[in-house]
Formats: sequence, structure tokens, C-alpha cells
Amino acid sequence: MGTDDVPLDDKAKRMRDLLSSFYSPDPSSTPNVSSKHGALDAINTNSFNADQYMNLLVQKSNLEALLQRHVEMAAEIKNLDTDLQMLVYENYNKFISATDAIKRMKSNIVGMEANMEQLLDKIMSVQSRSDGVNTSLFEKREHIEKLHRTRNLLRKVQFIYDLPARLGKCIKSEAYADAVKFYTGAMPIFKAYGDSSFQDCKRASEEAVAIIVKNLQRKLFSDSESIQARAEAAVLLKQLDFPVDSLKAKLLQKLEQSLGDLQLKTDELENVTVESTDPSKQGKVSDSIRSTPHEASVREFAEAICAYRVIFPDSEKQLITLAQDLVIKHFEMTEQYVKRRISSANLLGVLRTIWTDVLLMDEILCEAVLPDFSLEAAQVAVKQYVASTFTHLLQDISDALLKVNISPKEAAEEFPLQVALEASKKAVLQGSMDVLLDFRQLLDDDLGLLVKLRDFIIDWVQEGFQDFFRALDDRFLLLSGKNNSSSQDNGLTEGTQSEKVLAGLVLVLAQLSVFIEQTAIPRITEEIAASFSGGGVRGYENGPAFVPGEICRIFRSAGEKLLHHYINMSTQRVSTLLRKRFTTPNWVKHKEPREVHMFVDLFLQELEAVGSEVKQILPQGLLRKHRRSDSNGSTTSSRSNPLRDDKMSRSNTHRGRSQLLETHLAKLFKQKVEIFTKVEYTQESVVTTIVKLCLKSLQEFVRLQTFNRSGFQQIQLDIQFLRTPLKETVEDEAAIDFLLDEVIVAASERCLDPIPLEPPILDRLIQAKLAKSKEQNPIAS
Amino acid sequence: MITKSSLDFDGFENWRNPIANGVADYPVKGRARILARNVRKIEALKVPVTKKQPLLAPGGAAMQGGSSGIGYGLKYQARCISDVKADTDHTSFITGTLSLREENEVHLIRLSSGGTELICEGLFSHPNEIWDLASCPFDQRIFSTVFSTGESYGAAIWQIPELYGQLNSPQLEQIASLDAHVGKINCVLWWPSGRHDKLISIDDENLLLWSLDCLKKVAQVQSKESAGMLHYLSSGAWDPHDVNAVAATCESSVQFWDLRTMKKANSIECAHIRKANYDVKKKHMLVTAEDESGIHVWDLRKPKIPVKELPGHMHWTWAVTCNPEYDGLILSAGTDSTVNLWLAPTSASDESTSGSIAESPTQQADPLLNSYSDYEDSVYGLAWSSREPWIFASLSYDGRVVVESIKPFLSRK
Repeated sequence: MGTDDVPLDDKAKRMRDLLSSFYSPDPSSTPNVSSKHGALDAINTNSFNADQYMNLLVQKSNLEALLQRHVEMAAEIKNLDTDLQMLVYENYNKFISATDAIKRMKSNIVGMEANMEQLLDKIMSVQSRSDGVNTSLFEKREHIEKLHRTRNLLRKVQFIYDLPARLGKCIKSEAYADAVKFYTGAMPIFKAYGDSSFQDCKRASEEAVAIIVKNLQRKLFSDSESIQARAEAAVLLKQLDFPVDSLKAKLLQKLEQSLGDLQLKTDELENVTVESTDPSKQGKVSDSIRSTPHEASVREFAEAICAYRVIFPDSEKQLITLAQDLVIKHFEMTEQYVKRRISSANLLGVLRTIWTDVLLMDEILCEAVLPDFSLEAAQVAVKQYVASTFTHLLQDISDALLKVNISPKEAAEEFPLQVALEASKKAVLQGSMDVLLDFRQLLDDDLGLLVKLRDFIIDWVQEGFQDFFRALDDRFLLLSGKNNSSSQDNGLTEGTQSEKVLAGLVLVLAQLSVFIEQTAIPRITEEIAASFSGGGVRGYENGPAFVPGEICRIFRSAGEKLLHHYINMSTQRVSTLLRKRFTTPNWVKHKEPREVHMFVDLFLQELEAVGSEVKQILPQGLLRKHRRSDSNGSTTSSRSNPLRDDKMSRSNTHRGRSQLLETHLAKLFKQKVEIFTKVEYTQESVVTTIVKLCLKSLQEFVRLQTFNRSGFQQIQLDIQFLRTPLKETVEDEAAIDFLLDEVIVAASERCLDPIPLEPPILDRLIQAKLAKSKEQNPIAS
Repeated sequence: MITKSSLDFDGFENWRNPIANGVADYPVKGRARILARNVRKIEALKVPVTKKQPLLAPGGAAMQGGSSGIGYGLKYQARCISDVKADTDHTSFITGTLSLREENEVHLIRLSSGGTELICEGLFSHPNEIWDLASCPFDQRIFSTVFSTGESYGAAIWQIPELYGQLNSPQLEQIASLDAHVGKINCVLWWPSGRHDKLISIDDENLLLWSLDCLKKVAQVQSKESAGMLHYLSSGAWDPHDVNAVAATCESSVQFWDLRTMKKANSIECAHIRKANYDVKKKHMLVTAEDESGIHVWDLRKPKIPVKELPGHMHWTWAVTCNPEYDGLILSAGTDSTVNLWLAPTSASDESTSGSIAESPTQQADPLLNSYSDYEDSVYGLAWSSREPWIFASLSYDGRVVVESIKPFLSRK
């Protein structure tokens, strides 16, 4: 047991504890209550349990330790006994000395009472004597006082009689302060006796005072006087009971007026700023130059306010509103300004001017809390700026897009759609980048106003982008949707010229959507992450305001929608064509086919138009002519092509019917060709889809008619003619073959007498048509 | 068995048997049907074909999705199918073939009581190819057809002979011929429900109201009105809520006729409508199918803008019909060889337009409940069963009737 190391300390401590527990009334405050079951040192606590202690001791210690403990304890007990004895002795001594002191006090008090009575007698005699003196002097004093009063009165009368002359003197010497003092001093007398004894005096002095008032007013309004003097004048006027409020109002008005002037100047300044910044980059230079007169006038205004404040110390409220008015007007101007197209440099210039004004004003009028006030206003203005910037961007993009509608009419450009696409792509990407750069400028500026708004700006920009892209999507749909309705209306009545352009626009929009999704959004996201991260005023649970994933999704679906819309529009055009072709003639009384019908030309023209549109906009697909549904396509073609070649080469001894039969048989082994495949953003895919849909429409139109032999042959001829050019334009030959065959089959099914044309005739007619179109082409071109 | 039945050209009765062609042959149904279809064409050309055909066609037709449908094959191509409304004991449909050069047939098909197979209840020859067919709402044995000889059109009311079960080749009994038409007849409409003597027939240019006497077997023109210049009517629908109103579709609009005055009352402007169908459950609701632009739901009180637009089909949307029982269930058939089941509840947008804007994103989420794509050709015929309104029959051009149940989708509503 290592208790040997600190026996002395231990002991002293225990001693002290014991003593303190003896003297302290509250046993619970002893420090070591807590160690209730504490080990061996719990011996000194109140809650000491002897049995437990023994047990613990016996348990924990060996014999030797126990013995040692015993010895120690015996020594301690002995020590304690001596300590206790000593304490008793000490206390006893103290008690004895206290008793002695009390005894002594008792004996000293005995002679005190007699002395006291003697004192009282003496005080009484002093009092009676002083009373005697008072009564004997009273009368004389009374008289003196009366005389004194009369003298004062006389002096006052004298003063009043002298007052006009004195005032006149004061006016001459411009000692207005004295004059006012005199006059106000005489005022009560005038009030009391002005109508009777001092009438003349009163009148004269009032005249003098009127002059004084006039002079004071003049002094107050004259700007040349020092502020001190003006303030004094105001104070004096107030003392003269002059209606100061009206004066105050007048002065305030004057201030407001100057505020208005100031505002105008700001406007001019801004105008000038715009003009000077627009052509070149000298904005800042000219800004600073221009701002000097403005600053001077603001300073002047500030001084005026300062003076006013000194003159009318209780006018703070009005001044604050005045100052806030100034700020409000400034920001109203800014908001107006922001509505126009300005770069953030311009905005910065304006904000900087305002901020300096505000700081200037703040120096004089810190009660107005102008910085905070203007911070709020600036918040609104900057927010508006961000919003309007995005609006302008949106406008730019749709302008770029709508150029498609105008330019082809001028027919100057070869690829209007491509131009429009490039322009709008640029508008989107470059525009967004410019906007970001602009906002960067706002962020990077160390203007006090903007530094505080930084987080807000970041959020606004992010939100702005989010909203912007949503709005852009809406705009896209609007552009295409409008076209949709108008084309539906016009399509039946008007020609196809205007429609074509619109269809192209839809295609441009589709491709633009893809571009936005794949290129613009990642770029912008990157840029935003680089310089517009943080913010977080919105709170983290909402996450960042700009969610590129969502935007991407929106545009992906928009792109698909628009692409489908484009395909729809194109097929609708062809559909109208086909509808006319199939509903007009009487197919049952058709004449023998003499040439390929001209609808084929129109059809091919439409396809060509689509092709040229598509070529301008969409990327070329990978060379996948044979990759797509490879096994399917190649097997069918290898199977059906020999058959068809066979058919072509066959002599005309065979009956035409067997050819048809072969078509059927060939089809027997074909798979169901996937007509409606997913559209991709490639030239080939789109064209193929359109051709497929058109051919399907053709088939449906055919199925609705009944043909005689010649009608059927006409269809056969037209389709045969279509075969080659279609296959040239389309990537999925197998499907086209299939669909063309389907048309012929449908026609044969709907024919009363399905005897096909003999191949040689078919061939000759087609050759004739080809020759004719060749003939026409040089002329056309 | 399949190859045998489908290549056994002489025994057509065999493959027309719904059991052989329908339920039993699902695993290879696709190919079998192609073969069957093309064989039909071959047969149509009357060319002798030997039975030595390669049995293994390159590649098998891919089955598209599992189908619960029950199939039934017609001999020729066909366009129209109609629910036999008056048959209250069975779920039956009537359909007719469209074959220019062969002898056309009318099939009366009944869904077996277990709902597992389609039984040919009656087979009657019809003199011409059938372009439109409608069953009489009050007599299950009466129906109307619009037919064409190729050069001219005709329309007639037919009665199925009473003793057809015993006769070998029962002939249809013609009750009346609606022979006041000149041009191409498009459809015949029966009085929407109940026994009534009124009929409407629509041809390209005219709308005719007939009075039919089944006992005397005469039909008389009550009134006739021309649709006006440059309006070619294509189809029509009789308003089940207002028996004086008939909607007739023409090239660029839907016209609404008042039968009392025989005047045009109203119209909806939209392009290329194929079919229109009234919502039986809800008044003022009309659904139209348009070639290119899908399906539109109209509230006739607001004819400017459709209440709802559904995307329709990949190619033309040919037919559309509202479920007679379940609100907002619309079925459409298209030339892309699919039948689509849509859920487009209009009540929300009907009552509160403001709510519809807020709700629209969720509603637009997917109105398409299911797309039945197990068809080989364009689907023109579509009919709900009025007896069991969760069952519909569809008819593709290759003459294949498929009866499906939409019960699995009802629970989702």
C-alpha cells in the first residue's frame, strides 16, 4: 500500500477536513461525499460504514499490510486525540477573555446619563435667543425688500421703453441673437400690458422684430451664409415663435427639388454611359469622367442635407425618407436601365456610382441605414438584371431560329437551315457563356454592395439557368406547336412553300435540343461548377438550383418529340399528295398506263426536300447499311433478289400472274419487316422513317380503292419506278422493298383483274420516264 | 399439326377451325399465320401449288410479347367487326370479309362460355365484299352491311335465317335494300339502343334517314340531306345521349347534324378524321381518330380545343372506341398493326380546368395502358362487347379476329 509516500499531506488534509466539517453547518457540502462505497479513504466521510470498511480492508490487504494499517491507525488515533485536546484548550481561553471584556463595558456606561441632560439645557437657551434676534430685524428687512422690488420694476419699465431703440441698434450691428433675447425677455410684459400702457413701445418693438425676422429668414435661405449662421438664424426664428415648420417644409422642398435634379443627372449619365460603352471598351474611363459632375452634385446634396440636419435637428425622419427616396430613385432608374440590354460592366458602373453616393450619404446620415436599404434595393435590381439577361438570351435564340423563316425568301443562302442551326447553336452556347462571363464580372467585382450579394447572385444565376432552359423548352414547343397548327390550317389551302420552312425549323429545333442536351448543358454545368458553386442561401435541402440532369431529360424528350413532329409533318405533306392522287381518279375506269404518273415526281421532290433539310441539320449516320438487322436484311435480299432478277429476265411468254405469285412466295419466307423502328438523329434514319411511313400510307390508300386492270398496272408502274430512287435515298433497303411489294400486293388484291404489265413494257415506260426527266433536268438547272 | 393444317390447301375448313388455328397453336402462331395468309393469297390467284414447300422458312417470326388473346381466322381479308348487342346470352361478334373476287362470308362468332375459345356460330355467304357492318341493337339476327361490287356500292339490311343450324348452306335473307344512294356508301348507323325503326346511312355526299319496317321488309327514305359542296363524308356516329344528333366525319371536320331539321348544327375543325365515337357513359364526349395526329377527345360544348390528346399510333390511327362501361377507357386500332388501350379520364379536366393543368403532368405520364401488338397487318375493326365490357374484339386486315380481355388493366384504374 503506497500510503507511506504521503502520510504528512494526508494527515494535514484529514485534519483540515475534520475541522471544516465540524464548523460547517451543512454536512453535505463536504467534498468527499461522493465516494460512498469508496475504498479505504472513505474513512473520513459522514457515510463511513465501519463494517464495510473492515470487510474491504480485510479483503484487499494481506496480513502484513493489515498489521501495518493497524499501527498506522493507532498512531492516527493518538494524533487525533491530541489535536482534539488542543482545540478544547484554545476555545476555553477565548471564552475567558470574552467574559472579561463584557465585565469592563458594564462599569464604563454608568456616568453617561447626567452629562446628557446638561447638554439638552444648553441647546434650549441658544434657540430662544436666536428667535429674539429674528423678530427685531424683521421690519427693516421687509422695507428693504420692497424698495428692491420697486427698483427692479422701474428698471424693467426703463428696459421696455428702451427696447425699440435697442432693437434698432442690434439690427444695425446684426446682433440678432441679442435682439431676440431682449425681445423674448420683454415678451411677457407686452403680453400683460401691451394693450394699455406700453402700446407704442410694443408696436415699435414689433416692427423692429419684423425686420429682424425678415433678415433672419433671408439669412436662412441664402446659401452663401455659413451653416453655423443659418442654423443660428433658424434657432432664433424658432425663439421668435415664427412658424418654423413651414420654413422647414420649404427647405425640404428645396432639397427634394435638388434631388430631382440629381436624378435627372443620373439618367443623363446612364445614357451617356450606354452610348460611350457600346461602341468600344472605354466604358470605365468615360464612366469615371462622367461621374465626376454627378459626384459633385451628390456631394452638394449631401452637404445640404447635413446643413439641414444641423438647422433642424429634429428632422431626421424626413431626411431619412429623403435619402431613401434618393436610393429608391436610383434603383428605379437602374431597373429601367436593366430592362434594356446592358452588359454587366454597365450595370457595375451604375451600381458603383450608386454605392459611392450611398456611402457619401451614409457618412452624414448613418441613421438612415442606407447601405442596408440599398442592399435590399440592389438585390431586387440585380435579380431583375439576371432575369432580364436570360430573357434577352431567350429572345436571341428564338430570333436566330426565326431567321429561317425569313432568309429562304431572300434565297440568298444556300443552306438556310444549316445557317440557322449554326446560328442558334452559337446563340445558345456563346450566349450562355457570355451570360456566365457577365455574371462572373458581377461576382468578381469587389464593390461592397455586390460582395454581400454574392451568394444570392450565385443562386439567382443557377435558378436563372434552370428557368431559362425550361422556358427555352417551352419556346421550342411553342415554335413547333404554332407551326403545327398553322400548317394544319394552311396546309390544305395554301401551297407547301411556307410549310417546308416551318418543317425545317422543327428539324432545327430537334437538332438544337440534342445539341443543348449533349454539348451545351455539360459546358454550362462545368462553368457553373467552376465559378458559381456555393451559394446555398436557398438551403441545402433544396440542393443546387441548377439541375443539369433534369434539363437534359427535358431536352432529350423535347428532341425526340420534335424529331417525331418533323417526321409527322413531312409525312403529312406526302399524305396530302397521296390522298389527292388516290381519291381523285376513278380507278375502276382507269385508262391504260401510258407513263409514270407525275405524283411520283412530286413524291420524290418532297423526299428530296426532306433530304436537303435533313442533310443540312442532321449528322450522317455511321455506315451501317448492312449492320442494321444484318442477318435479316441480307438473307431476305439474297433470297428475293435472285427471284426478282429472275423475274426481270424472264421472257414474256410467262404469264404476269406468275410474277405476282413469286412476289408472294418470296414474301412467304421473309420475316415481318420492322417498319416502325426507333428514329435516330441521323440523316438516313430520319429519311428512312419518313419513306417508310409514306409507303405505308400509300399502301393504306391503295387498300381503300378498287382498281381495274389498268389502274393496277398504273400502280405497278409507279411503284416500279419508285424502287430505284427510293433505295438510293434510304438505308434500309429490305424494308423498302418489302413495303413497295406490299403496295403492289395491296393493289393486286384490290384489283378486279390483276394482270401485271409485261416486264418489257414496264421497262420501256420507266426508261421513257427517266429519259424525260433527264431531258428536263438540264433545262431546270 | 400446324404445318399440316396451314399447308393443307384443300382443306380450308380445317384451318378455319378456330381450335386448329386459334388457341392450340400459340407457340408458333406467328409463322403459321404468315404462311396461312400468304397461302390465302396464292389460293386467291388460283394457281396450283404443290405441297412440296420448304417447311423451314429462314428465321421464325418473332413472337411479340405474350398475348392472352383468343384468335379466330377468317378466310379472306376483312375490315369490319361488330358486337352483337342484342344477344344477351352470349358474347358474340359478327364480321364480314372483304374480298373483291371471291365469295364473301359473314361470320357470327361466339365466345365460348369458358371464355377460352371462339366458336363459329354461323357462316353465311354474302354476295359482295363488305365495307361496313353493323349489328341491329334489338334483334340479334339482323344486321346491316355496306358492300361494293368493285364498281358500285350498295347497302342492305340482312336477317340470319332461323333454321341456319340445320341448313347446309344457309342463305342470308335480305330484309331491305337501302338503295337510294348514288356514290360510295360509307356506313349504316342503327338507332343507338332499343327497338326503333330509324336508320341512318351515310354516303360520300349525303346523309339519309330511313324508316325500316322489319316485318313488311321495306325501308323508306324519310329525309335526305346533302353534306354540301366539297364535303366528303367518311363515317359517322349516332349520339347515344341525344338521339336527334348524329356526328358525321368528313375530310376536314366533324359535322353535327340535327335529325329533326336535317341541318348542320355544329362542327369541329380538324384534319383527316377516320372515325368518331361517342362516349356512352358521358354526355357531350366524343372521341375521334385522325390519320396522322392521333386521338382527340372532345367536349362538344367546347368544340375549339380538344379536351385531351393521345399520341395514337406509329402510323395512322384508324378506329377508336370508348368502353361502354368503364369511364375513360379508350381503345384504338392503327395501321401499325397494333391495338392500344388508353386510360384518359376526362372528368378532372371536365369539371375544373385549373386542376387539369396541375394534374396534367401526372396524367400525361402514361395514358397508354397497353399496346397489343400481336397482329400481322393493319387493324381496322374494333368492337367492345357490350355484354362483357372488359372484352373486345379486334380484326386485322388479314382476316384474323382476336378477342382480348382487359381485366388485368382494370385493377390499375
